[in-house]
Amino acid sequence: MAQTAKKENFIQWFIRKWKSSPIFSTGCVLVLMVILQTVALGFRDASFGAWLQRWGKNWINILRNNAGVGIVALGMTFVIISGGIDLAVGSTMTAVGAVLMVIINGYPTGLLTSVGITGPWAYVIGIAAALVVGSLVGVINGSLIAYRKLPPFIVTLGMMKICRSVTQQCMQKVSVKVPAGFLAIANTKIGGETILPILYWLVLALVLHIVSRHTPFGRRIYAIGSNERTARLSGIHVERVKTWIYILMGALVAVTAVIQVARIGSMDYANAGSGYEMDAIAAVVVGGTSMSGGKGSIGGTVLGMLIIAVMNNLLNLMGVPPFLREAFKGAIVIVAVLLQRKEK
Amino acid sequence: MNLSMRGIYKSFGANDVLKSVDFHLSEGEICALLGENGAGKSTLMNILGGVLQPDQGTIALDGAPVQFHTPSQSLDAGIAFIHQELNLINDLPVYENMFIGREIKKKSGLLDHKAMIARTRELFESMSLDIDPLAMVSALDASYKQIVEISRALMMKASIIIMDEPTTSLTDPEIERVFQMLRTLRQQKVGVVFISHKLREVMQICDRYTVLRDGAVVAEGLVRDTSVENLARDMVGHEVRTQARTRNAQLGVEVLRLESLTLEPYYRNVSLSIHAGEVLGVTGLLGDGRSELFRTVFGDMGHYGGRILVEGKPVVIHSTPQALALGIGYLPRNRKENGIIKDMDILENGSIVIWRQLARCGLIDRRAELAAFDKQRQGLKIKMENPADPIGSLSGGNQQKVVLAKWLSAHPKLLILDNPTQGVDVGAKEEIYDIILRLADAGVAVAVLSNEAQEIIRVCDRALVMYHGDVRAQVSGDTMNEQEMMRLATGS
Repeated sequence: MAQTAKKENFIQWFIRKWKSSPIFSTGCVLVLMVILQTVALGFRDASFGAWLQRWGKNWINILRNNAGVGIVALGMTFVIISGGIDLAVGSTMTAVGAVLMVIINGYPTGLLTSVGITGPWAYVIGIAAALVVGSLVGVINGSLIAYRKLPPFIVTLGMMKICRSVTQQCMQKVSVKVPAGFLAIANTKIGGETILPILYWLVLALVLHIVSRHTPFGRRIYAIGSNERTARLSGIHVERVKTWIYILMGALVAVTAVIQVARIGSMDYANAGSGYEMDAIAAVVVGGTSMSGGKGSIGGTVLGMLIIAVMNNLLNLMGVPPFLREAFKGAIVIVAVLLQRKEK
Repeated sequence: MNLSMRGIYKSFGANDVLKSVDFHLSEGEICALLGENGAGKSTLMNILGGVLQPDQGTIALDGAPVQFHTPSQSLDAGIAFIHQELNLINDLPVYENMFIGREIKKKSGLLDHKAMIARTRELFESMSLDIDPLAMVSALDASYKQIVEISRALMMKASIIIMDEPTTSLTDPEIERVFQMLRTLRQQKVGVVFISHKLREVMQICDRYTVLRDGAVVAEGLVRDTSVENLARDMVGHEVRTQARTRNAQLGVEVLRLESLTLEPYYRNVSLSIHAGEVLGVTGLLGDGRSELFRTVFGDMGHYGGRILVEGKPVVIHSTPQALALGIGYLPRNRKENGIIKDMDILENGSIVIWRQLARCGLIDRRAELAAFDKQRQGLKIKMENPADPIGSLSGGNQQKVVLAKWLSAHPKLLILDNPTQGVDVGAKEEIYDIILRLADAGVAVAVLSNEAQEIIRVCDRALVMYHGDVRAQVSGDTMNEQEMMRLATGS
């Protein structure tokens, strides 16, 4: 083996790595994208320092704008590795966001304000409630999928419709004011920049990466996605693990809802989070996770999310009209999967 | 058509898989291609089938040299490869399967169903087969599916048919039905390459044999001039025991007791007990319910009637983790579907049942995992390079040992082995038998489920014979012989 390794030239090495490691291939694409983006950004600054600052600001913008979908995509990675899919994430986020805002409502008539609970305690209760509601949606999705053996596509498609429609109906006559203190959760500046959402995303990615690789739960997700039958016959409680995957997904959606509400201070119940499911799935797929389950990684999903984000930014810098940008997003998903396909 | 392959040489990297192999097949001949897993049988046949290209060597049909770069070129030349996993579409009727990819169309471009049905019926009649062309493939049993595949090969004018272990999933009457078909093929001058591990079947149906070992032909000749023992020796390269051994089982506590366990329509009123240190055999023909019975004990069948007692205590087992927690292990049949996880590496496949025990503060202790697996690897003599290699890189016998390793690492009190030597070559089979006996000596209660009488006789202290969900009788000692077990298994 050592001899063959020596004979191999750079191109052969590159092709072998490209084919064997999704992380490598997505990483390469990302590097290429970043180079293009840097060129598109231009070098017309007075000094290198000024250029670096502009480049950094641009990056913080990219990351911050994608932190929400990025967090959803982390959960989606687990769902897809297990062989499932979750279309309900966007509208679940709206529902969770609505619940959260009603609870922390800053008007004197608000749920907690009227009984005299305000400030951090109200926020803690609100966030806890958000997590509970998100997880509850996960419990419903998960148990219908795992115990009643319904197809994930159908269950979550139904849940997607239910969550959004109920939220819109219930919130028609409710006006909400998010207290200024709550906004600090996402908007507190660190080093002069609003980077908290980015930090939340990256910390969660790190934690979930460890979960996926080094815990029994994480490995069971792969086992179930690759061969459910063998997993069951190896003493794994397949139904329980599957339900937990959707609960985790719901909880992550709740985290995203908290960040979104804290960031913007309001929510458009008709449109907030719509398209999140597709963006998250796109990031997961571009990151090398197989739609048929059993293969994939959190690291890949983060890279996949970055590729889509950087491309969006690049198109923006190049002045491509917004309506056309979605087409590029669609194309990159197809091309990514095409490139990752292993030759037989 | 006469086939001759000469000086076939093939290597993968530094690994010489075939070293100048000659292989011949005359028309109307059934030739057995024998060898342990990894001997090069599949590579040789994949070269003939156009899946792989040889590095050196020639293939000639009726003396004319040919080259196959794709499977379809090989098929066009009249060579059909029938794989172990059948290539039929269950939800289509038989006649449509016969013409998949080569449908007969009317001028309008629509399918000509009438013509296809007629041609299918014609072919079946010429082979004196009683199959309805309109029947759904899903409604056929395994042997008829096999026969439909062979018929399809004939429909495509195949004059050489390669069959890769055609009988592994068949019962005895079904095997006889496929053999009948092979005899008809012989009369019609079709040549057959019969790849199998079942030497008795080779003796029964084949005319000639070729044995490969480590990529070279080590023996060939007429089947009538040889014996099962000789063939086994040629395959392994040394003497193989086929006789039972006498073992003095030291029986301990009653590990498992079933009291009138019933799960319709699979089995009913089954009562049995297994003690520590004992190897209990359970045998029967397809549909006897033995797998379902023991899958129930492992919690894979859900609710049941009757009682299960583990070490004297009544227990309720409705899920596999419950069974695992009670110290029950189950090595399933059909390794590929039930035993291994192909996207995971050797180590992960070998440690999956003890992931939870390996976790320290929630994280799996990689070093402990390696240590636990390494212990089993040595005990089971698993041939492998790196625990991080994919499970698929191992031969069938070694994959099966990894599945065994996963259960041994959990130290079960009761180990259920369902067809433990399925798709495993002769040498590895013997090793697995030794492992089973060693386990029993170490005080594990072992249940061996098998349809091979030889296997039961070889390792079990006593055996139950099941027939359509009923336990017919218990055999042991003198009554534990092939004839008696077959008599009971057929319900006569």
